Amino acid sequence: MRVLIAEDLALLRDGLTRLLRDNGFDVVGAVSDADALVHAARAEKPDIAIVDVRLPPSFRDEGIRAALELRATVPETAILVVSQYVEQEYATELLASGRGGVGYLLKDRIMHVDDFIDAVRRVAEGGTALDPEVVAQLFSRRGPLEGLSPREREVLGLMAEGRSNAAIASSLYLSIGAVEKHIASIFTKLRLRQTAEDHRRVLAVLAFLQAEPGV
Amino acid sequence: MLGGMKTAVRSFLYLASALVTGALGFGLLLAGWLATGLLAVTPLSVPVLVAFRWGVGALAKLEARLARLVGVDPGPQRLTSGGNGYWGRGRAVLADRTFWRQHGTLLARTAVGWPLAVGAVSLVGSGVWFVFLPVYYRWVDFHIGSFDVDTLGKALLGIPFGIAGTVVALALVHWTARGWARVVLPYLGPPRGPAKSFFVPHAVVVTIADLIVLIVWASVGGPFWPKWVLAATTLTISLHAWLLRAPSALARVAGVAVFLEAFQVAVWAFGGGGYFWPIWTAIGFATAVGVATVVLRRGRLEHRIEVLETTRAGAVDVQESELRRIERDLHDGAQARLVALGMNLGLAEQKLAGDPEAARDLVAEARAGVEQALRELRDLARGVHPPVLTDRGLGAAVASLAHASAIPVVVEEPDAERPPAVVETAAYFVVAEAVANAAKHAAATQITVRIARDDRHLVVEIADDGRGGADPAGSGLLGLRRRVEALDGTLAVTSPSGGGTVLRAELPCAS
Repeated sequence: MRVLIAEDLALLRDGLTRLLRDNGFDVVGAVSDADALVHAARAEKPDIAIVDVRLPPSFRDEGIRAALELRATVPETAILVVSQYVEQEYATELLASGRGGVGYLLKDRIMHVDDFIDAVRRVAEGGTALDPEVVAQLFSRRGPLEGLSPREREVLGLMAEGRSNAAIASSLYLSIGAVEKHIASIFTKLRLRQTAEDHRRVLAVLAFLQAEPGV
Repeated sequence: MLGGMKTAVRSFLYLASALVTGALGFGLLLAGWLATGLLAVTPLSVPVLVAFRWGVGALAKLEARLARLVGVDPGPQRLTSGGNGYWGRGRAVLADRTFWRQHGTLLARTAVGWPLAVGAVSLVGSGVWFVFLPVYYRWVDFHIGSFDVDTLGKALLGIPFGIAGTVVALALVHWTARGWARVVLPYLGPPRGPAKSFFVPHAVVVTIADLIVLIVWASVGGPFWPKWVLAATTLTISLHAWLLRAPSALARVAGVAVFLEAFQVAVWAFGGGGYFWPIWTAIGFATAVGVATVVLRRGRLEHRIEVLETTRAGAVDVQESELRRIERDLHDGAQARLVALGMNLGLAEQKLAGDPEAARDLVAEARAGVEQALRELRDLARGVHPPVLTDRGLGAAVASLAHASAIPVVVEEPDAERPPAVVETAAYFVVAEAVANAAKHAAATQITVRIARDDRHLVVEIADDGRGGADPAGSGLLGLRRRVEALDGTLAVTSPSGGGTVLRAELPCAS
């Protein structure tokens, strides 16, 4: 699996490169600013680009902007944005295209190496990975989610993080059948049509959340 | 057709109601301003003003009910009270935007609405008169020129005229009422956006008044007495324009003197010339302006020094306590966790060879410690300066606050260029504190955040519908005030008990 890294701090850039190489990834490039990222992504067309939000020169949201540009121009490259902080607005923007192959995680998650590697693969294969912190932010708002039972909220949260039904079942100690029942009930309560793929469900849920913020 | 008739009749009733409410308004405004003027500097002016506002509010309530006749519901007319101290109550009345807006509508209803009502009633009335002429032609002596209506046949001729006339009159009335509903009635509703200057309404009132005077003169004839009204109204409007644009208090004083003198010269010129008496007032004004120059300049400098001393002390205090808090958080939080982490790793290193199982547990524990430290550092950074504010500016940061709020927040913000970073940060913390307070203390159900930008100021206004009664001297608001004042801005807190809270910060930003 071919990976491109954009991170301005050399310490983290090198650390991440080593971590990914040790886990069998082919790191085709490690750049330190957004222009180089776009350039390298167009040239290499990697399976996934791991992008920091804050990049030179202004250290604002260059990473997000570059990620959105890549989504539009190099659609075959999946994007995993990593950052020291998460902002729900950025998650919404990244997922706005309605396609999979997008992730948004706190850098903290890199420490759980297995989970992180898992997330990188999932996103590269067209899935999603949304940080639990973003999910928590979504749940703190008032709105349509208030109608869900606590169990359904747990299931929805894990769905949004990009977990499969089997993974949700094992982390909540439920049977897969029970998880499917909860998901069906969530779809009914949120008035969503059921579709097959995992990330579609997440996107549908997010789309629904965007449509009626905090009403 | 029938529906159209019904709306037209309702419009007619609305316009005609000004015969009563316009007269009431006239009496109320006249009495209110006479009493306020006469008692101006005495303590009695405060209860008079409070009663005046109550009266204006009650009449505005009635007007709001009547407005439903033309399909406008301006919303509840909230009577606010508030102000600190005895004199503060009086000042609060004069500073109350709702009061002035209601005032404006009542004035319009008196000055324009009443003549309109007379016009509407006589127009529609004459149409109806013709329609029912067959009923009473016998008892009235009615003739149009030499055409005497004395038989039933002649009277019946009036019916088509009457119907056509009534329909045309009602149509006119309907269109007038619609215009009224669009132009005047919005002022009965709650104000939208930051305070605007009332220069345009003023100019409109002056123009209408001048026109009415000219029309009256044209129909009565005689010497051109409207010149006095024209001179006086022109004076008020040009003074107003000057006060709006004048760069300093001194310029305003000088401007007022010049205008008053110009008025005197005009009086002298219109009065037929002769002995040039305005020279004495000119000398008087010149002296007054000279004295004002000296007094104002000195006063201004002293005041400025005083303000700077206080705000600097406040800013230093705020900064000092912020730094202390950050230091404490770092010391007790992330730093302590890193120490523990180092110890765990050291232990793990020791055990690596002998007891790999225990070493693995220690490493896992260390990782949990790192996560906790990162979380704490993130919260700390957010409290110092939220990342999204850096990335995207005030609008996005406030939108993010709104998303996270448990209470619905409506954000109104223009698409303007970003103000300087310090201004943006102060504005952000005003909004953050206000939104947090509304949720924590005020039991509000709705918050509105308005951000406005002109070439010299950034204005943020946060209004909630909670229980009010916020203490402007409480620690949260005091900290905000210091933050705002350190940037030469002002923070106004209006929080009458039971009447919601409005926080309004004005921050100067030269761009």
